[in-house]
Amino acid sequence: MTMHSGYEFVQQQTRRHFLSGCQLGLASMFLGSARAAASPAKGPLAPRRPHYPPKAKSVIYLHMAGGPSQLELFDPKPELQKHDGADCPQHLLEGKRFAFIKGVPQLLGTPYEFSRAGQSGTWVSELLPRFAEIADDVAIIRSMTTEEFNHAPAQLLLHTGNARLGSASMGSWATYGLGTENQDLPGFVVLVSGNRTPSAGKSLWGSGFLPSVYQGVQCRTQGEPVLFLRNPEGMSRSLRRKTLDALGDLNRIDQQRSGNPDTLSRIEQYELAFRMQASVPEVMDISREPDSVHSMYGTEPGKLSFANNCLLARRLVENGVRFVQLYDWGWDHHGNARQTDIRLDLPDRARDIDRPMAALIKDLKQRGLLGQTLIIWGGEFGRTPMRENRQGDKTEYYGRDHHPEAFTMWMAGGGIKGGVNHGATDDIGYYVDRDPVTPRDVQATLLHLLGLDPYAFHYPYQGLRQRLIGPTDEGRIVSELLA
Amino acid sequence: MHPGNLSMVIRGALIPAVGWACAGAALSSPNFGTEVRPVLQQCLPCHGPDEHSRMANLRLDSLAAASGQNGGHQGIVPGNSAASRVIVRVSSDENPMPPTGDRLTAGEIDTLRRWIDAGAKYERHWAFDSPVRPEPPSVSDPGWIRNPIDSFVLARLDKEGLQPSPEADRHTLIRRLSLALTGLPPTPTEVEAFAGDDSAEAYSALVDRLLNSSGYGERWARVWLDLARYADSVGYEKDSIRTIWPYRDWVVQALNENISFDQFTVLQLAGDLLPEPSNDQLVATGFHRNTMTNTEGGTDDEEFRDAAVKDRVATTGQVWMGLTWGCAQCHSHKYDPLSQREFYSLYAFLNQTADADRNDDAPKLELAEGVSTLVLRELPAEERRDTFIHNRGNFMSPGGQVAPAVPAAFHPFPSSAPRDRLGLAHWLTSKENPLTARVTVNRLWARLFGAGIVRTEEDFGTQGTPPTHPELLDWLATEFMRVNWDLKDILKTIVTSATYRQRSDLTPELLAVDPENSLLARGARFRMPAEMVRDQALFASGLLSGKIGGEPVMPWQPEGIWQVVYSSKQWKTSPGEDRYRRALYTLWRRTSPYPSMTTFDAPSGETCTVRRIRTNTPLQALVTLNDPTLMEAAQRLAARTGTGNRSDPERRLDRLFRLVLSRPPSPAETGRLLALQAEAAFELRQQSANARKLAHYDRVMYKANRRTPLVGDSRGDSPDWRYSAEDPGDGWAMPGFDDTSWHRGKGAFGSTKRPNVSDAPDPYGTSLRTDWNSTDLWTRVEFDLADPSMQEIRLEGRFSGGFEAFLNGVPAATQINGSGTFAPFELAARAKAALRPGKNVLAIHAIHTGLSDGLRFLDVGLTALRPPAFPDSGPEDADEAAWVVVANVVLNLDEALTIR
Repeated sequence: MTMHSGYEFVQQQTRRHFLSGCQLGLASMFLGSARAAASPAKGPLAPRRPHYPPKAKSVIYLHMAGGPSQLELFDPKPELQKHDGADCPQHLLEGKRFAFIKGVPQLLGTPYEFSRAGQSGTWVSELLPRFAEIADDVAIIRSMTTEEFNHAPAQLLLHTGNARLGSASMGSWATYGLGTENQDLPGFVVLVSGNRTPSAGKSLWGSGFLPSVYQGVQCRTQGEPVLFLRNPEGMSRSLRRKTLDALGDLNRIDQQRSGNPDTLSRIEQYELAFRMQASVPEVMDISREPDSVHSMYGTEPGKLSFANNCLLARRLVENGVRFVQLYDWGWDHHGNARQTDIRLDLPDRARDIDRPMAALIKDLKQRGLLGQTLIIWGGEFGRTPMRENRQGDKTEYYGRDHHPEAFTMWMAGGGIKGGVNHGATDDIGYYVDRDPVTPRDVQATLLHLLGLDPYAFHYPYQGLRQRLIGPTDEGRIVSELLA
Repeated sequence: MHPGNLSMVIRGALIPAVGWACAGAALSSPNFGTEVRPVLQQCLPCHGPDEHSRMANLRLDSLAAASGQNGGHQGIVPGNSAASRVIVRVSSDENPMPPTGDRLTAGEIDTLRRWIDAGAKYERHWAFDSPVRPEPPSVSDPGWIRNPIDSFVLARLDKEGLQPSPEADRHTLIRRLSLALTGLPPTPTEVEAFAGDDSAEAYSALVDRLLNSSGYGERWARVWLDLARYADSVGYEKDSIRTIWPYRDWVVQALNENISFDQFTVLQLAGDLLPEPSNDQLVATGFHRNTMTNTEGGTDDEEFRDAAVKDRVATTGQVWMGLTWGCAQCHSHKYDPLSQREFYSLYAFLNQTADADRNDDAPKLELAEGVSTLVLRELPAEERRDTFIHNRGNFMSPGGQVAPAVPAAFHPFPSSAPRDRLGLAHWLTSKENPLTARVTVNRLWARLFGAGIVRTEEDFGTQGTPPTHPELLDWLATEFMRVNWDLKDILKTIVTSATYRQRSDLTPELLAVDPENSLLARGARFRMPAEMVRDQALFASGLLSGKIGGEPVMPWQPEGIWQVVYSSKQWKTSPGEDRYRRALYTLWRRTSPYPSMTTFDAPSGETCTVRRIRTNTPLQALVTLNDPTLMEAAQRLAARTGTGNRSDPERRLDRLFRLVLSRPPSPAETGRLLALQAEAAFELRQQSANARKLAHYDRVMYKANRRTPLVGDSRGDSPDWRYSAEDPGDGWAMPGFDDTSWHRGKGAFGSTKRPNVSDAPDPYGTSLRTDWNSTDLWTRVEFDLADPSMQEIRLEGRFSGGFEAFLNGVPAATQINGSGTFAPFELAARAKAALRPGKNVLAIHAIHTGLSDGLRFLDVGLTALRPPAFPDSGPEDADEAAWVVVANVVLNLDEALTIR
């Protein structure tokens, strides 16, 4: 064979050999009658109708891993300022466990100014000037509270409804329930910035007990966007096409002989993979976005940044991806080093997210997508009103310990009423004072906005009706936030 | 409720044919197990055994309770449906039941009505009574029967008017058996020997050979390790590596030695409680030490010790009895006979071990110098814990005290047995136990046929699916106990049956009647598990190492997969044959498992996985097409088949097929693949660089071997840098800047006043070359970029605080978070563009960002990728590369990826 040359000959051989060995017509007739499994829109990720008409079609979840300080960003506390440096009252410490605080810590006021923003008069820190511009599009929840005070369990509780490893993440639930609009892209995409994956690792976007087809696909902004997406070095796209043609032909010969329709769905998966090889790099390439967009988000093509990920999130939902999950690491401001200091580091962290998250809302709005895209921002817990004292008095840095009692999240877009200020904490921001909202409430609200009944939506596993909101019905749709 | 019909698609495999159950039932009284119970089941969440969620003081889970004899309300009047409140309420429009959600259908209500009128007879759930050995039924074609399995299967087919499929051909049989029993395909020589052996004993001899090969233990250990939630890391945030692989090796060995399953059970649950336990018996207890340990700051050790014990209770219930005990930790089971008190009575058995979520994972057993593995140890008598019910599952909220006891619904705990783990293990493997044997044979069956006789392998309770062949299941269970829990024996019985030996091909008729093969009118066909996909490719290509056991290994994986917060362990491809070990030996980190295997549904090891749900996705196609590991296998496979066959492409292809698929190709297949080979060779002749890369792919893929320093760090020779602690002002990073007045010193700057702050294998202190004690440090070094073929230039290093790097004065990278281990940092596009042949300047401004007396270091250099060194290449590259392409296709054939 190698002695021959000439492309026409090769092509002729291909056709002749193939047609002589396989009666295509018959094969496809049999298929048609047996099962229409070959159609990609019938797969487990095919779009499905929700329980009731949805308010949002897709979700962008901005998770700030580490637990950003609500007291520096969203929740001003004049009383705390007044008592800055005073010993924390004993009754707030009794029976409490902290990750690092020992003995009697001192109350710590914030070094930052707050002012009212928008028609809603939402209090926003000076660290977030751009966010102030979108305050009227956003519903702020200052009364978040959780049960877990360590990163991994708290992140897991928020994302999977269970503080232990092994349950399905929100994005998996959403794609399990609704499928996804664009079969050439993953339905649940994960983007990570801050150089590290969050504490609970890839379990945060795992599918747990749901089939693995629903797990999040981590897309990277450097190197290969999806693992093994690129052809091996030396394999051109045209050569890959030829191999897939041969593979398809051989699988069809096999299918004809063995009669099993599963072979045809495998052919389909290979074709889908081939299409993803083109569509994923295209959607991940932000270099062709106009300069105006880049300056709006603060993006730089090729860089690993939260800003790039925000722009990518917009491109992904625009292209029919159901759930986009962003993780930004670097919010664990204990004050034990410069990079965890609320005076020296937090302003940089805030600057890195302020422009892009505001741009994301404005951009989606301009494109008419905000109404159908739910955006959620927040960490896994908040930070203490007390200064962390891990190193005793000698530390020159300022920080706060993990605080599950109270923190702030916000939501915007599909189904959310802009300008809402929901819930409040007490005078020093220690406890939630009014309208507490739990991770389960967030999960219930999210599912509800997607048109899924959070109480009925379940998956049978280990004898239980597994649900995102957990075994009890305590999770509540936070109707005060809804448009 | 699912919005679409997807749960049907996915769980369709679970729905058994119900014909067996309906047959013979009296018209007036519906079958309790298959018809009535599913309806009543819908009422049990509010009217079942769970006292906390019970409404209206009404129980419907037993006749006594439902007819009001236990002090509750009467819902059912036996023999009189019209007078039964249950019927009144479910049919009422004004006052309906259930009050919300879906109503019962008219058919379901009718079922209840007929059942009540016939006397409302409750039957115990089939799985809670011990199996009774059934007589094999008579069948239409006794000649087909090889052993009693076949009688049960054929009797059912007779009832459906179906025929079994003919026996598969020899090539198919040996591949199916080899993969199923050893996880590896047969060699072409083995195939030919078997295909040419016409003797009656050939098949049985083959089965014996496979069961006695070491691959048997490796294959079935993997099945067991899913249950054991085996992993090489502790889990949670830090997820650091632990040494528990001796337990994995113990499982392989125990299976190869064919320890009886009851003994296998006792050793794992209670090996430490045997008199003077040997090291092996202690290592076996690693089974329950695979629970996770949380070492995050401020963690309450009791919280996670409690989580581990709960996990052990749930896992024990899942593995041995196929029951979902886990949910009774918060409330009594809503369907099965397990109250919350009973859950904590089981917990009490497992609550006396010395492990307690400690950072050092104690207690451990030292096996050899430097090898200590996790084991169970019972607390001394004076330190025993009291066990309490945890209200709502919360360990901080203790309720009544409980003693070790087994659930009342099952056979009694032997009065002579100790109330400890050893006693529990004996109770589990007692011949009176209705579930252990059934659950175990069902699991073996499922691994061989792709689905269990009870589809819900993880749930034999009332919520699970009924068996497709109940009598067959009971025959197998009793047979398993009759042969004294001999695993190889029962496996041999199954695989030598005529049922197992059937062809797996589908006819349109069978596809229409029985798409899920519940009736077993054909042989098994299913996509192979993750480990087999890899092992088969390596084996066929001749790369697979035959080494058994030992420390976990790191085969090739993409860069950057392991980036977990607060941890410094790095993935470094194992040297030599260790990178080609069986998948079983791959280092498994729970929060970052080996990616190409999880894509094929391998579990993370976080919790006990009884059944992997098989999926079919495009990401799997990307793995088998593009994962360099599989490409390397394709390259070796192509090379291997070329030896002696270069002038005879048909023979070469024949060999390739036999290595992967254990059969020769058909003429059509040969034609199509030789055409591809010619097409590919034609294209690759125009692209010689590509041809070379494919033909010598192993020289391309191991990039780590090709990475060379342009500016060395402490891992190698670091050059002399110029450095200054004083702010040098503008222009300091530019090439022409005069730094002659600066200090001079070797790279790797820093000071460590707190040694051993990291778990990195190299404490920084030993690698630092030049003192750095100021807050800021400005450094410069000149380097030569002589070779223009260098690619992918990047920074690499580790540092305590933050730095800004410049190349020829152009900003190249900024890092602020510190990195305890060497990590790569991409260069900004502008900085890359500023590089030029000849002299260049790397300048770094480092900032110490920690506490003033804290650790500080800057150990950063510049690396580049050397182009691959190819052997002398020639015109044959394109032809060889085209064979690599062909091998890549063959390894991706549906047939190659399925057991059939």
